[in-house]
Amino acid sequence: MVDLSSIKADEVLDCKGLSCPMPMLKTKKALQKLQSGQILEVWSTDPGSKNDIPGMCKKEGHEFLGFIDEAGYTRYFIKKK
Amino acid sequence: MSLGETLKEWYRVIFKENYSPVVGGILLALLVILLEMWYRPWGIVGGLRNWGEWVLYGVGLLEEAPPHPLWFSSSVLDIGLLFGAFISACLAQEFGIRIPPKLEVIKAIVAGILMGVGSALARGCNIGGFYMAIVNLSASGIAMMLGLMVGVFIGVKYLLWEIEHFTSQGGKEISVKKISPILGIIALLALLWGAYDYFNSGKDEGALLGGALLLTAGIGFVMHRTRFCLVNAFREPFLSGEATMAKGAALSLFLAMFGVMLIKMAGIRDAMTYVEPSFFLGSLIGGIIFGAAMVVAGGCGSGSLWRVAEGQVKLWIVVIFFALTNTILRYYMDNVWEVWDKGWLGTQVYLPEVFGYAGTFLILSFVIFLWYVFVDWNEKTEKFVIGF
Repeated sequence: MVDLSSIKADEVLDCKGLSCPMPMLKTKKALQKLQSGQILEVWSTDPGSKNDIPGMCKKEGHEFLGFIDEAGYTRYFIKKK
Repeated sequence: MSLGETLKEWYRVIFKENYSPVVGGILLALLVILLEMWYRPWGIVGGLRNWGEWVLYGVGLLEEAPPHPLWFSSSVLDIGLLFGAFISACLAQEFGIRIPPKLEVIKAIVAGILMGVGSALARGCNIGGFYMAIVNLSASGIAMMLGLMVGVFIGVKYLLWEIEHFTSQGGKEISVKKISPILGIIALLALLWGAYDYFNSGKDEGALLGGALLLTAGIGFVMHRTRFCLVNAFREPFLSGEATMAKGAALSLFLAMFGVMLIKMAGIRDAMTYVEPSFFLGSLIGGIIFGAAMVVAGGCGSGSLWRVAEGQVKLWIVVIFFALTNTILRYYMDNVWEVWDKGWLGTQVYLPEVFGYAGTFLILSFVIFLWYVFVDWNEKTEKFVIGF
């Protein structure tokens, strides 16, 4: 397992306060702009993201590295395929 | 494994983890059948309209006081749903006040107004106008289903356009994670106390309302645990091809339809219950408007309510504008323009009157089966996926 807290993301996407399906759509969009192997960090407050983001990664083939719960939001880490 | 650990594991599975859409769909159907057997069909908009009428009465636009929200069944159904979803969100530590960025606030206002218009034309949101209408064997449910599909397609087109042209940031969450299990337990006790009060009120409808409060709390709890979302069910086949929620919804619809059909055949509820005079124009047009709007809102009738209970401020705005628009429009449609008496938006069609019970069962099963097959086939081939 990767130590998530030591990851330095190539891009950070702020989806705080957004509700379904915006965090998932924006994540998908942001991933398109990255190079293969780069890491995207997403901040979301929607509890639905805990299913949606890993689910989308699985479908699209990106590697979902995991999430960290912070006070008031969750950080998700995704490696682009 | 010790007994303590086993109980802890159970707590996690029942109160913390999400249920699959299939499990959620089955539980939802069961509760819907029980509610209709106990008292009346499930619904959302009737309660919202009662609350909207109180607002209009409060500012002096209505002369007569509307029915008391605690003694008006439609309102009690919504109160129960909010309670159940709030308890679920709190116990899972998912409750938090989520404040959206500005663009989302504008979307919420516009979508809320359109949902009010759509649900007025269709005489119900996606629950009363679609799910419960089909379940109660009304032709209007099928018309709204078609409308919703067209509307959702339009809504998805908008979302894809928005994502190319706008970025919105700056939302935040006020987290109450630490105290939320305590809030959940307080809400649970309040719910039980409320139900106890209804049962012991001595009034005619007391026990019925008490039972309805508990059953709809069950619906709210199950929906929140599942994140059961008819917007997702209609949207994802177009957006990503994903069909898990759509399949759960189709299964739920089939089971509930079967159960309520038996209730009506047995004469427990009047045949014309929830058969609305909006077939097909009102349901179709209302469905298109409501479908497009619910995608932009990020919640349908029921989905908006359980997200309200989870602390999503965007959906608070949606529900306020949805309720007020529906109240005002229905006031004019019912009392001033008399559209239903004039039959402008359609008629009441109770399917068994035309096709008999066996024929109706076959037709509705076929419609639901078609939906299931379509989303399943589309999930594999992505033929109708317009997302990027």
